[in-house]
Amino acid sequence: MNGFGNLLRLRFLPAAVWGLALLAIWEAGSWFLLKVLQVRMAQSKLPYIHEVVSAFGRYGSTLLKEGWVTLANAGLGLLLGATAGTLLAVLMSASQWMERLAFPYAVASQMVPILGLAPIVYGIVRDDQWARIIIAGYITFFPVALNMLRGLRSAHPSALELMRSYAAKPWSVYWKLRFPASLPGLFGGLKIAAPLAVTGAILVELMGARNGVGVIMLRNLYYGPSHVYMFWSTVVAGALLGVLSYLTMSVLERLAAPWQPEFRTKGGDR
Amino acid sequence: MTEKAVTMIPEIELDRVSMQYPSAHSDVLALQEVSLNIAKGEFVALLGPSGCGKTTLLRIMADLIQPTSGGIKVAGKSAKEARLAQKYGIVFQNPVLYDWRKVRHNITLPLELMGVKKAGRYRKAEELLELVGLAKFADKYPWQLSGGMQQRVAIARALAMEPEILLMDEPFSALDEFTRERLNEELLSIWSKVGNTVVFVTHSIQEAVFLSDRVFILSPHPGRLSAVAEIPLPRPRTREMRNGEVFFRLIAQIRDRFEGV
Ligand SMILES: Nc1ncnc2c1ncn2[C@@H]1O[C@H](COP(=O)(O)OP(=O)(O)O)[C@@H](O)[C@H]1O
Ligand SMILES: [Mg+2]
Repeated sequence: MNGFGNLLRLRFLPAAVWGLALLAIWEAGSWFLLKVLQVRMAQSKLPYIHEVVSAFGRYGSTLLKEGWVTLANAGLGLLLGATAGTLLAVLMSASQWMERLAFPYAVASQMVPILGLAPIVYGIVRDDQWARIIIAGYITFFPVALNMLRGLRSAHPSALELMRSYAAKPWSVYWKLRFPASLPGLFGGLKIAAPLAVTGAILVELMGARNGVGVIMLRNLYYGPSHVYMFWSTVVAGALLGVLSYLTMSVLERLAAPWQPEFRTKGGDR
Repeated sequence: MTEKAVTMIPEIELDRVSMQYPSAHSDVLALQEVSLNIAKGEFVALLGPSGCGKTTLLRIMADLIQPTSGGIKVAGKSAKEARLAQKYGIVFQNPVLYDWRKVRHNITLPLELMGVKKAGRYRKAEELLELVGLAKFADKYPWQLSGGMQQRVAIARALAMEPEILLMDEPFSALDEFTRERLNEELLSIWSKVGNTVVFVTHSIQEAVFLSDRVFILSPHPGRLSAVAEIPLPRPRTREMRNGEVFFRLIAQIRDRFEGV
């Protein structure tokens, strides 16, 4: 009870105060641009938050529907990318040779601008669904692979020696030591990758798809000033999808690796 | 030599074992021609100041590293064969528990690797937790335990597979004096029940004398076996013996050996 009260006071109260202050400044700034300076298209630059929120409300069911499409595609892409990244990390951890062969290409793959890659992928698969999934997968596999590899390597030498002393098979060493030890790394990678997957999916949608947040974002942009609050509400929806994807990974991490140092209750000297 | 030494069946035989670690500047000679025999069921200590090669010697016995030269036999076979036959239980200087496993599952780890069925594993873990006095902590994670408790879990884990040979590398050196003495007594009572061969590395003369049948005294630079001391204290060893005249005399004798080197 007391602990909960403390949590409320220490974590949510400051956040709420900051949030409210920011909103107030925003609203004031918006009013200033519109009424005092009378800037052209002031609302496109800094719209009233309350108007955006009300557009968000009016537009809710559409945003939910399109948001779900984006999220589902990003999720499938993440699944694809994370699986590929994990497999690559396992291969690289198992053999130096494999690492030396694959690593430069993995790094190089990240240098290709997604903006240029997306139309190419779309041209090849000719399907907006698949293009989104592939692009989301493409930008997520690298952070997952890198962090997973680090996680697999994080098994302590003496922990490995213990396995050796039991004459454990390589398979057992992976299953009972390297994989569990890699979970914090894997989730570190997933938490970076999940919002990236959402961004990737929206990017493909902006370049042409039949549905998704990116599509309505683009449509509202075309309609111009009359749709400015709608446009902003799609941007907010995109951001919320990113946050949601991140939180999902955090929850999964809690479930899969509750033993991590970060999750330990404080107190004592360890 | 006592009667025991004459009738002994050698469990571990080292024949002129040397170990040289390669190094950038000059090679380190960690062990020079160490020869010794350890009998089946015997409790021996490897005693010496730090850096004299105790850990190196233990790791050679465990087949975690290979000596540069010399031979090692374990129950008549090579150390590698002994390791592959899962004859070893090792307790390292640190507990080396797996963070993601609760205490119970840390103890069952070697049993899982040996393919023991779940019911059997749990029964054994229960028994060992009782033995090391941690029955109430079975479902805690390692970080929820004190250092001494963690080390007891490590001992329970090493005993789980009933190893023929128990190798312990300064298992209690990080603990306070009180805990250490109590764990010494617990270890002996466990050993008297299990009856395996124990090689116990320590830099504490008291600990070596209290625990062992024989103490192998190592001296540094390069690491050599400089003497072997028989410990004629009767068994079971009791707390009172720590205050006995024999105990102090043995300690003094061993200390004198170190004065010489
Ligand atoms: N992996 C290693 N590489 C190089 N030198 C080592 C290594 N391990 C131990 N040594 C050296 O070998 C000597 C004996 O070390 P060690 O067996 O750890 O002694 P002890 O356990 O008695 O303290 C020391 O001089 C140490 O520096
Ligand atoms: Mg040592």
